[in-house]
Amino acid sequence: MSIDPTALAVEGSFAPADDRASQAPSRSLIRQAYHDTLSSVGARIGLAWLFLLLFFAVFAPFLANSHPYAAKINGKWSFPAFTFLTPSDVLLLVAVAVAATLFFWRRFTFLQSIGILSGILLIAAVPVRHWVKPPDVDVLERYRDYQAQGEIQHAIYAPIPYSPQDRLRDQPDARLRPPSRKHWAGTDTNGADVFSMLLHASRIALSIGFLATAISLVIGIIYGAVMGYFVGVTDLIAMRIIEIVDSIPTLFLLIAITAFIEKRNIYVLMAVIGAISWTGYARFIRAEFFTIRKLDYVQAAVAAGLPKRIILFRHMLANALTPILVSSTFGVASAILYESILSFLGIGLVDEASWGVLLQQARAGGAGFVWWIALFPGAAIFLTVFAYNLVGEAIRDALDPKLRKRD
Amino acid sequence: MASYILRRVLLMFPTLIGVTLVVFFVMAWTPGGIGASLISNEQGMRPAERKAMEAYYRKRYGLNDHYYVQYLRWLNSVSPIGFKTSGQGFPEAWRFGLKPPDLGEAFATHRRVSEMLKDAIPITLLLECLSLPLIYGIAISTGIAAARARGKLVDVGLGFTLIGLFSLPSIWIGVLMIGFLCNDSYVHLFPSNGLHDMRSDAMTFLPNLSGGHFTRGWMLDMAWHLCLPVICLSYSGFAFLSRLQRGALLESLGQDYVRTARAKGLAERVVVFRHAFRNSLMPLITVSANILPGLIGGSIIVETIFGIQGMGKLTIDAVNSRDREVLMAVTLIASILQLFGNLISDLTYAVADPRVSYVD
Repeated sequence: MSIDPTALAVEGSFAPADDRASQAPSRSLIRQAYHDTLSSVGARIGLAWLFLLLFFAVFAPFLANSHPYAAKINGKWSFPAFTFLTPSDVLLLVAVAVAATLFFWRRFTFLQSIGILSGILLIAAVPVRHWVKPPDVDVLERYRDYQAQGEIQHAIYAPIPYSPQDRLRDQPDARLRPPSRKHWAGTDTNGADVFSMLLHASRIALSIGFLATAISLVIGIIYGAVMGYFVGVTDLIAMRIIEIVDSIPTLFLLIAITAFIEKRNIYVLMAVIGAISWTGYARFIRAEFFTIRKLDYVQAAVAAGLPKRIILFRHMLANALTPILVSSTFGVASAILYESILSFLGIGLVDEASWGVLLQQARAGGAGFVWWIALFPGAAIFLTVFAYNLVGEAIRDALDPKLRKRD
Repeated sequence: MASYILRRVLLMFPTLIGVTLVVFFVMAWTPGGIGASLISNEQGMRPAERKAMEAYYRKRYGLNDHYYVQYLRWLNSVSPIGFKTSGQGFPEAWRFGLKPPDLGEAFATHRRVSEMLKDAIPITLLLECLSLPLIYGIAISTGIAAARARGKLVDVGLGFTLIGLFSLPSIWIGVLMIGFLCNDSYVHLFPSNGLHDMRSDAMTFLPNLSGGHFTRGWMLDMAWHLCLPVICLSYSGFAFLSRLQRGALLESLGQDYVRTARAKGLAERVVVFRHAFRNSLMPLITVSANILPGLIGGSIIVETIFGIQGMGKLTIDAVNSRDREVLMAVTLIASILQLFGNLISDLTYAVADPRVSYVD
């Protein structure tokens, strides 16, 4: 069923024809790998946890919020949970809606879907930023006060009626409470509900995992592609640079860079982790390109006088992209791990409570060892990293022809 | 072979210069800079005094110069060939030649960096020398067990467990170990901090029973302190190696000479351990060089959690006090280790497999 790419490429209409031809075999490989992966028990468990986590991350403001969904206060209905949504909450919901539509519509290929999704998000970002403005003043205890004073006639609360920033100022004795039916994972030294913090922190973990990996993939792919195509001096110099980055142990480099940045936030961490862990991808693409550039269809494209940009990123990359996207699963796991290690060492996130920050609180929070603050965030990190590794392992086994032949 | 090694060693110098350049300028260019917290340990001064103090230190360590000048001065001071320097890195006399390399003086503590390293490196090396045999022992035995039971419950279970161990964050395990095993409210089995008991100086070296009273002695005290850190440092390492051993052994078990050995009627034990196992060791030998730098990274976490004053703790302290000289020295040493690790791993390829040759 595979069409000879060179035959098409020489006849004319290079780019589209070649694109289709080069994707035909890789799609069947992907489909095969997809089946093999899903048949592995480990991958299923991992995927189940990741989808649960995705659900938590997207709907965190609806799952754990001090604001009720709807409340009738002094005879007037209001919808505090919705008015207090931030622009990024709304954008995330839009992204999930678009992604779900694209997934069930099945009209576009994977890469096209990613393009459409990022396009829609970029366009949607402007009006959302403009129109979605949550109120500045946010008194999280007030609904409980209203309730106590009998001013609320009806209210529908979230399953966990505590925001992560809600320090229960109205209940001074609620600090450092062990897990109970009211606080499923206890409360921390400030009185905030740990389970609510965990739910909201899953956003940090997932976004750092995805975006840091995306950054390193983009750098690695462009770098590796240029290196693999222009052999000779470019390759020699580029390889030295890779060697330099590789010969500093990753954790050292991460610590050295992040510690000297004054205003650390989630975006800085993403950028730094992404900017450090690209060398593996670059090496991989380079090695792939060494073999691909000698294939007939590339030679034909060169002979036809296509610009290098088109040959590199349209013709050659299409054949090298699938395995690298697959192997980036492990990259996501290690990015999440790096973030929590940095936060744990006190040189990561500053004012957001990520899982690593919570774990550090359990160790050095001043209250001694508090088992519920140590156990649950650590378990969340472990389960997430474990899930990514299980899925990654299953995909790698599915894609490895040596292993498949044996079974 | 000798010329290959020489070429690789010579190629290390530009790489090392590149590494130090990257780290130096990352530190120099980030907002906040290097000198900002030089005097953080001297609190309670009037603003004028503070300013004078800061100016004094900036002059003493030459922080007013351009970054390029500062970097060149640092490079000259650490290299064994160059101008002889004073303690703060300024060239003393303009006579070019061989000189002892000098890692400079720590900004925060005003101690010689080489002295600080002399205290810290043996501790980290000790941790690593204890972890390595543990990692290899467990990895090889579990790898063999998994390969022999290929596809059976033992194999699948081991694979699952090992990925699980590999994914367990050591920050979590360390905190839980200290919290549950070194805590009076739960179980107080192990000490929670440091490498020695406070009274260890007064202990005898070996454990002894004098007058029916047992004292554990200096060595046993240290072993007791080392238990948890070593476990924490090694458990994630053997997961990867064990998978490697399993794959390699499976591959050798599929070879013709193993079939021949079986056909001769040799016992399965002999076939596995004499014939297949030896040939499957090669990947483990070659990655051994890369394990060491990885362990140094891991020691940052373990030493911070368990309060051990090794290289990792030194790095974190240097980072927190923005101590450029210490951080540069530690980066340099870690990078040298990594580069030599790479070289050794490439050489062991050639030694273990005669088909690989580096002679052009």
